Amino acid sequence: MAGKIIADTLEHSTAGSIATNYVVEGSSKSWVNFNGTGTVAIRDSLNTSSISDRGTGQYTVNNSASFGNTNFAFMTTAGHDNASGTACNFDPWEFTTSATKANSFQETGSTTVRNDRNFLYASFMGDLA
Amino acid sequence: MTQTPQFKGTHLFDRLCWAKENLEGVQSDYRVVYESSIDECAKILVPDPNWMACALQGGILPPVQVYWELAKDEAKPDFKKHTRGHLLHNTKPVEAMTEEEAIEYLIMKDCPQHVWRDYDSGNKPKMVICRKEQLPSTREWRNAWKITDDLATDETVAA
Repeated sequence: MAGKIIADTLEHSTAGSIATNYVVEGSSKSWVNFNGTGTVAIRDSLNTSSISDRGTGQYTVNNSASFGNTNFAFMTTAGHDNASGTACNFDPWEFTTSATKANSFQETGSTTVRNDRNFLYASFMGDLA
Repeated sequence: MTQTPQFKGTHLFDRLCWAKENLEGVQSDYRVVYESSIDECAKILVPDPNWMACALQGGILPPVQVYWELAKDEAKPDFKKHTRGHLLHNTKPVEAMTEEEAIEYLIMKDCPQHVWRDYDSGNKPKMVICRKEQLPSTREWRNAWKITDDLATDETVAA
């Protein structure tokens, strides 16, 4: 059954209480899990309209509900494709309120090269428009 | 088929959360290959399955023109934050689209305007809608991919 609870505070019987704005402000407003190899495909998401594959290890994540400004936070990570544990990054570098460019890298020895990754994850936190 | 609630005036994020909970994602076979700069390789737009479900369902997504209005605001040099975000939430949502109409909407939302406004005006098209099977099967030389001159729909469209 659909319903609405209006509350400023959540209180646990023993663990204390928390203001509900912590929950609202602290929730991810958009996230995506996608395969950046082969024919790029999105596995699952919230508030994502598309991904642009811009070249090797280069992607743009496009949102459906825009952010209010470009001061949102963007958490990203790239999964290892095997157990070797080679360091890999997924770094955002250019933002609008509805699109974020991010590149994935692999560190090999002393060099870092752009690299397609099978598991790429991004999550945004901030105020929506 | 699940009935969409009357969403006009409901925050777009709340509508997307409703869709996430109530609609199955739709993996589209369509891809959009486009060239936004002659100095860069071809880019490929990949529709999101949850977004596609919203487009096919109808009554959830705002008209694409709303995004253009927000983009105009954001392009102003003194832009600090959106003051017309209500357009996303208060404009009457668009009706159910076919998959092809949804791809056209997505192009107009997520591809640069200079690409799709006159995509067919140069020596060769700057944009092609294709099926994912028409893309190269490996990403070899990915940074050199361009839209091929031969745009027959049963051929590979970028290589």
